[in-house]
Amino acid sequence: MLESAPFNYRRIIIWIGRLVLGIVFVYAGIAKLTMPNTHLWPWFFLKFSISTNLTMFQQQVESYKMLSPETAGLLAHTLPFVEIVIGLMLLIGWGLRLWATLVTLIMVGFLGVVTRAYLLHMDINCGCFGTPEKLTGMTIVRDGALAALALLMTYFVFTEASKPHPWTAPEKTA
Amino acid sequence: MTRRTLLLPAIVGLAAFGTLLLAAPPKQKSQTATKKATPAKATEAPTLSTATISVGGVNDIDPSKAFGSKSAPIVVEIFSDFQCPACKALFVNTTQKVMDNYVNTGKVYLVHRDFPLPMHAYSRVAASYSRAAAHIGKCEPVEMALFQNQEKWEANGDVKGTVAGALSAAEMKKVQAIVESKQLEPLIEKDKSIGMTFPVSQTPTTVFHAHGQTYPYAGTLNYDTLKEFLDQLVASK
Repeated sequence: MLESAPFNYRRIIIWIGRLVLGIVFVYAGIAKLTMPNTHLWPWFFLKFSISTNLTMFQQQVESYKMLSPETAGLLAHTLPFVEIVIGLMLLIGWGLRLWATLVTLIMVGFLGVVTRAYLLHMDINCGCFGTPEKLTGMTIVRDGALAALALLMTYFVFTEASKPHPWTAPEKTA
Repeated sequence: MTRRTLLLPAIVGLAAFGTLLLAAPPKQKSQTATKKATPAKATEAPTLSTATISVGGVNDIDPSKAFGSKSAPIVVEIFSDFQCPACKALFVNTTQKVMDNYVNTGKVYLVHRDFPLPMHAYSRVAASYSRAAAHIGKCEPVEMALFQNQEKWEANGDVKGTVAGALSAAEMKKVQAIVESKQLEPLIEKDKSIGMTFPVSQTPTTVFHAHGQTYPYAGTLNYDTLKEFLDQLVASK
């Protein structure tokens, strides 16, 4: 008889992590593309809005004073799309070990960058969700919580993956 | 006549002369004060017109801070703060090219709106000087001087010195008088209140008015992208 996958706290954490981080990443990516300038129709308005929003995001990345303008430009124009893809893959659940690892690396990176900016008393915008948002202690708390969730989720994903699935495990004999 | 007889009139005469000497200075002082008051009248600001105009459905435009043909199909308002780095980037990299290629060719009517942000200590002063310079026909050189030297005057607060570097002594005198008279402050307040209606949440914010519609855009605009957008906006119905 086939058994369903065991329902334990590790899988609960994985589900919560996938949902929360997946939704946050998809939202963050879309927000960077479509906010604060939200005129999306006709087509040339959409193009102009996305371009201006990415230019603004590039300025926010440059304000951290960690990258050259060229590197900041490359990052600004690729990160939103990367976030959307990673978020969708987390929600779908394919290749979870890869995407969970990427999410963890990104979140730990974000946490490090905002913490550095906060400790240097930099009066800048976070650049996290498109709209101007001052970098404060709450930003660090939020990013820290998401990074912790990502770490935990990734650890449990690898733990669960190392155990054989009940459907493939040999049947127990009495 | 005896010496005694001559002595008395001499003493009286000396006393009278001394009294005249003592009495004169206050009259001289008042004359001096009056004379000093006269040059002050020469630096009083002329009475300026604070009348505004409407173009393309956009109201309350200060004509001294607007450029282009009033029959242009697109009206562009730029809300900016002289102490804002992104506004400097927009002005230096984009606005000048828009002036050359769209305003001067009759495609765009460009309006500069002041939106000094409260966190910038000297932006309001800079806006006042810029507005005063605009009313004597020196808007562009003063705005250029303020933006190009932004780092200097925001560090030391010397807005006046920066503006003086772009004007002649006579022009600076007029501008200073206008700033001190505060006649144009209501126009700056008007620009701010108009910005709050969109609302302008950051500077620069560019508002495009075309075909009866209004499209606010926050942030710096890259000229190549803006060019493509303006061409399509002009061509669209």
